[in-house]
Amino acid sequence: MNLATKKWILLKISSIILLPLMFWFAINFASIFNGSYSEVVGFFTNPVSKSLFIFFIIFAYFFSALNISEVFEDYIGNEKIKYVANRLLFFSAIIIPLLTIIFLFNLN
Amino acid sequence: MENKNPLSPHIQIYRWHISSLVSISHRITGIINIVAITLICIWVSLLVLGNANYDPINQLLNSIFGKFIAVGLIWSFSFQMLSEVRHLIMDMGYGYELQTTRITGVAVIVGSFLLTILIYLVGANFI
Repeated sequence: MNLATKKWILLKISSIILLPLMFWFAINFASIFNGSYSEVVGFFTNPVSKSLFIFFIIFAYFFSALNISEVFEDYIGNEKIKYVANRLLFFSAIIIPLLTIIFLFNLN
Repeated sequence: MENKNPLSPHIQIYRWHISSLVSISHRITGIINIVAITLICIWVSLLVLGNANYDPINQLLNSIFGKFIAVGLIWSFSFQMLSEVRHLIMDMGYGYELQTTRITGVAVIVGSFLLTILIYLVGANFI
């Protein structure tokens, strides 16, 4: 199986997982975004919502990194620029969720 | 080695159809969503600073601008979800007839606004 096929399959699997997580988060975001500090913290410290939110950001960044790398493939001709753009993309797709998860576990 | 693969033609070359509108909007909302999710990650991370430091954020999110951004984000999520479902159905080999692509394209656009209203009402406990 070539790399493009593997990427396409991973993109589709991650989108199937992401769909219900995004729907769940959208409803809860509408519920808490303008709530008080204790309401927002209460949501993100609840074990179920904390776990689902962690899964949501992991799959959102994974899916987006694959999706945006397709855009780079379509519109960036220079191989060096494309390589650097992809490295930065995949680095941020790991570091941003990781830092957020660390902060989440320090929330009480 | 120099890559000789052709790039995609720029979007202004094509005559616009519902499908092209949905396709480019899918990419744009995908990028908006990941920027928004990054801001949400920053919002969640700032919670560790405590109640006293949360007031400016709370005021922003309760302003008209904050609510507009929140509703806009819910629309962007809604569009992405419906458009992704359309993509998955097409990946299974269905919905390629010209008339069907127009109908599903309109369904994604109209449906995204309806789904935004539904999500907002459910989230705000109006339903």
